[in-house]
Amino acid sequence: MSNKYKFTIPISTDKYLNIPVEIKWDFYGQDDSIEEFKFGLVDDIIGNPKDYETLRFSHNTYGEYFQTKLQHNFFFYDSTSSNIPTSLISNWVQSYEVAGIPYDDIYFKSRPFKKSFFKIDFYDSKEPSTQKNYFTIILPVTNSEFMEEFIPSINSLNNVKINFPQFNLDYIGYSEGFFIYWLKDFDLFKLKTFYMTAKFFDAKNGVFIKMMTVPQATLPGDRFSFNPSDYFYYQVNLNYIDKTYEIYDVISLNRVGTDTSPINWFEYVNPPA
Amino acid sequence: MSRIFDDRVVLGSLRFKSAPNTDLLFKIPFIQSSKIITEYDRSESISLSQVFDDERQRSTLFRPTSKFQILFNNSYNGSTNYQPFKNELYYTNAKQAAALTCIDPQNTIWEGFPQYHEFDFIRNDVFESGYTQYDTTYAPPLIHNLFVPKSASTYNWNHFLSYAFENDYNKQLQTLYKVDSNPVVTLSWIVSDGIPFVISNTQMNGMNVVSFICPMKHNVLVGEYIKLSFDYLGQDTFQVDSLGNGSVGSENYIINILNPGFLGFIFNNNQTGTFKRIVNLNNQSETTSKYYIRRHKILTNYDDSLISYAGFEENVFGVNKQYERSSLTPNGRARISTKNGDKSYTLSFNKDIDILGLIDNQKRPVSELFYTTLWIGYFGWTLGEPNQQGGFYRMRQGWEFNIPLHPVTELPSSWWSYANSNSDSGINNSFYNVSPPYGNNNGQPFNFVYNQTLKTGDVIDGSICEWNDFYQQETILNELYHKITFNRYNFNIGMTSSLSLNQFGYFYKPFEGVKIRAFSDSIEQAPPSNDYIVPDHAQFSVNRNVFVWKDIYTYGFIDTNGAGVDFPFLNNKHHPYKNIIFRIIPEGTNYREFTTIIDPIIDDCE
Repeated sequence: MSNKYKFTIPISTDKYLNIPVEIKWDFYGQDDSIEEFKFGLVDDIIGNPKDYETLRFSHNTYGEYFQTKLQHNFFFYDSTSSNIPTSLISNWVQSYEVAGIPYDDIYFKSRPFKKSFFKIDFYDSKEPSTQKNYFTIILPVTNSEFMEEFIPSINSLNNVKINFPQFNLDYIGYSEGFFIYWLKDFDLFKLKTFYMTAKFFDAKNGVFIKMMTVPQATLPGDRFSFNPSDYFYYQVNLNYIDKTYEIYDVISLNRVGTDTSPINWFEYVNPPA
Repeated sequence: MSRIFDDRVVLGSLRFKSAPNTDLLFKIPFIQSSKIITEYDRSESISLSQVFDDERQRSTLFRPTSKFQILFNNSYNGSTNYQPFKNELYYTNAKQAAALTCIDPQNTIWEGFPQYHEFDFIRNDVFESGYTQYDTTYAPPLIHNLFVPKSASTYNWNHFLSYAFENDYNKQLQTLYKVDSNPVVTLSWIVSDGIPFVISNTQMNGMNVVSFICPMKHNVLVGEYIKLSFDYLGQDTFQVDSLGNGSVGSENYIINILNPGFLGFIFNNNQTGTFKRIVNLNNQSETTSKYYIRRHKILTNYDDSLISYAGFEENVFGVNKQYERSSLTPNGRARISTKNGDKSYTLSFNKDIDILGLIDNQKRPVSELFYTTLWIGYFGWTLGEPNQQGGFYRMRQGWEFNIPLHPVTELPSSWWSYANSNSDSGINNSFYNVSPPYGNNNGQPFNFVYNQTLKTGDVIDGSICEWNDFYQQETILNELYHKITFNRYNFNIGMTSSLSLNQFGYFYKPFEGVKIRAFSDSIEQAPPSNDYIVPDHAQFSVNRNVFVWKDIYTYGFIDTNGAGVDFPFLNNKHHPYKNIIFRIIPEGTNYREFTTIIDPIIDDCE
């Protein structure tokens, strides 16, 4: 207060004087505010802790008996009897031998066979130029099913059991590749739909074979000219509520991977040079 | 002070010609609108380890995991008329039964053990024709339960997380005890009465003492006091002179007071009663222990748990399998049957536990979570005893002191009888039945009874505990056990009708705790004043006129006594972990585990 005031004795009535008192407050809790500000600043610089924990998604049930079996069938192209333009569906055969791995290697599980595997890649889109591969599932050939085959070089009298490229994955038995482990926090990538494609890594010949969802024999017209987005991918939908996934054909949008409609993969053959 | 002095001072005679030179006064206001702040107030060194620790201390999220190693000896040999069960046994009389089948197939009894997968955490009998898959060689096709692979890990057992939520002070308890050659006595008490005992008069170090032999740990120290449920000439509180009778571990179960020559029958041998622990005779109201049953609240649903094989880990006892030849099975099929398994399992949860706001049974922040295991028995080998209400008796529960057989008859203690309502676990059950084309239960369909699962928010009984305000300490005195008994209509282990309500069975311990926070050993206290910061979980001591409490250690700190937790912290979550040996204990076997072996006493001579 810095003003001078003159007071006179009132004659009849009281006089009132408003005296301005200028007070400027220091901000209460300034230190606490600095602490809060500091935490905020550190968060801005370093970032908040994020939840990179994964959830286990399992194949959703289907059918009358709540089946969960996930079935992959892989077919390799038998090039000995045809070429692609004249090929038939029957030229794609569910056999490792057609892929170039001799029966002996399969039966005796030699290293070239044991080290071969199928690689299932999961992308965020079907567009090759922009897609990102987020995770991969490996299916070792030794986890594939068995079939009986007459192979005279191994047993000239009886059939023998050898692996063939069919995978029956479930909670019980072969479960490697059955579960999808993906981030629990949906907001990290906001992804609940993936597109999966498959390759076969042939340890015998040191090459990989790309797979597509239909045999090229079924493609209309030029069997080397097609939209890759339609024929190289299956769609995988994650359900964050019940922690399950379902797989769909990208064209028909019918569910696949079930007993009655397995996931079929067919060797893709490049056009001749 | 920030006023800028911008007034111009002019001598009066220089301002106006006739003006006098006078003193000039300036009023300078003290107005503060800014503050000088030292430089270090605004500078902050960012330490990644400090940031990590800050995040760790702030986080209230937990994702517990554990590894279970099952120790189980398949012990009860039995027989069944139900064809799918009969075809599935691990046979023990195959040769005799096969021979008799040729003569009298209808009345041939095939004996054996239920296979190991009936008790395993993950059933793997998915392709058992006639049991889990249709066997079309029978008409109609034979099956017990069509196997749903998704349920493989939930058919037999369910796993949950729980925490101690409240106390039950009114539980009626009972056990049998026999001291030396004395007759068996029945101890019955309400849990809040304290520790039951049987009196035995003896000598310790040449002194006559009265020994109070307890069926559970008493947690009393020498020099403290016990308040009896009866009095001797008006005195009911006695100082503890010594503990134990010289045998290993007996100090936890036996209390001795000096016997100056008590008269009458009050302290005669085999007298029974209860006592409570008193720490300070001059402050009995606040140093007398309280006794109660801890009740647990379930935090997860059954499908939040994920159980899977722990790699290739096996226990040391190995697998016990045998080949059942086709000629030595009732259905003429060869197979391999398994009596005992050896797998270990990992348990994790899809759901994180947020302990923010959770208060335990002592109104303190939750410091311990419990892996909670519940027998389901969906395939219907167990439970199934009809009650008078038209349903089925529920699974029995008891405490460790109920496990021993009757000391004289060596039959299951009457506590476990279905007729004893005090041992009712409160776990509801359901049942299903199948039409009986392949054997029947005296013309009635077989009932397959199983425990219903639990869900978030359910509350079930736990261990017997003691709480003492003086020490601010909770101590487990006796662990809870559940008992599994076979459904004698579906699988008879040779029980006579007189024992039908109280068969031999298996025990298991449903709770395994994992510490997620630790309380300090020392007790803090502060007067009721605004000058002190007192945590919410502090208790007020009227006698001392102070708040008392135990501080909670920060995550990562472990004191010299080993108290504290230091679990991994990742993704803003704490990851507590525990290795658990899960025992399924056949009744009548030695169930005691000594976790520590006491070192021999070394005296000065050595």
